[in-house]
Amino acid sequence: MPAERPATGTIVARIWDAPVRLFHWLLVGLLAFSWWSGEHHDMDWHRRSGYAMLTLLIFRIYWGFFGGRTARFAQFVRGPRAAFAYALALAKGRHTATPGHNPIGGWSVIAMLVTLAAMVSAGLFSVDVDGLESGPLADYVSFDQGRVAAAIHHLVFNLLLGLVALHVLAVLFYLVRLRHDLITPMIHGRRRAREDEPVEELAASGWKAVLGIVIAGAGAYVIARGFRF
Amino acid sequence: MRASRAITTLHAAVLAAVVPALALAAAPAAAPSPQAAIAARQAGFKKMGAAMKALNDQLKSGAPAKDVMENAARTVALTAREQAKLFPAGSGASAGVKTDALPNIWTDRATFDALMGRLATESGKLQAVTGGGDAAAIGAQAKATGAACGACHRQFRADS
Repeated sequence: MPAERPATGTIVARIWDAPVRLFHWLLVGLLAFSWWSGEHHDMDWHRRSGYAMLTLLIFRIYWGFFGGRTARFAQFVRGPRAAFAYALALAKGRHTATPGHNPIGGWSVIAMLVTLAAMVSAGLFSVDVDGLESGPLADYVSFDQGRVAAAIHHLVFNLLLGLVALHVLAVLFYLVRLRHDLITPMIHGRRRAREDEPVEELAASGWKAVLGIVIAGAGAYVIARGFRF
Repeated sequence: MRASRAITTLHAAVLAAVVPALALAAAPAAAPSPQAAIAARQAGFKKMGAAMKALNDQLKSGAPAKDVMENAARTVALTAREQAKLFPAGSGASAGVKTDALPNIWTDRATFDALMGRLATESGKLQAVTGGGDAAAIGAQAKATGAACGACHRQFRADS
């Protein structure tokens, strides 16, 4: 009796592990706080916020090799052909959800991580115009070099803001045009998937996450101390 | 040995502060041209920034070298006193040279001069306290001197 169509078989698939989600939202908060503290010349808090970001960054690079399936660079960094094919399909209105970062989103993640790394690195060597406030590694460079680092720090922040704006616009595009919600899965880690959609296990390891936090914390601490002990 | 070296470095610092002033005095016009004043004060501020960094680097190192800090504080104190003279009328944006000096320096001159005076006072104290060699006191006075820099920059310097 085909009077009632059976509901399409859907399952709930886990696509983002907890460290990825924590990294994402902590970064959002820290970026805002860093901007605020920088604008208000509260350099003690600006530095602390930078160290926290450095910790996150080291952890995320580590997690790109040892994290859950969708966190790994090897899984989401795709060649230009895949990115182009994905864009072409999107332009033709054929969108299929990817179990993780899509081929273009993957490059967006890499671009944001590289920009963030450049901003944090420049900040470590930055000196303010008064020679009073400086990053933890500024005493390894001259005043002029430190001023150049500060200029780069500022410039790269604006670049990062541009990438963040692009990222938010893309997320809104998926939400409005493709009716595909990317936001709530980044909060609780799950999304609905068709029963026949191949979504592999995340297989994120708890002890590897703890090890990564220890490595990231120790690395950031050593850099924040300017390698002085 | 130490005393003579200190005198030599003092001479060098005095020379460094005086030579640009002499060069300006020797310029054809009685007062320095706005462009020359801008170049001289920018060089002076850079020198002060570098000296402040040198001093703060020592404090940060955990084992501060007293002579380095004394030299740096002397540079800051001597240069600070010269800087106030390097803001003649017309040496703002209208000079046609890139400068972060805001126009209110010349419309609110009393406030500007007071802040310049505060810098001279604080940097003088910094020079005195570095002679004592007490790292905590030097650190506190370096902060006070930096606060004098910042207070003026917030009101009178663009891009701060």
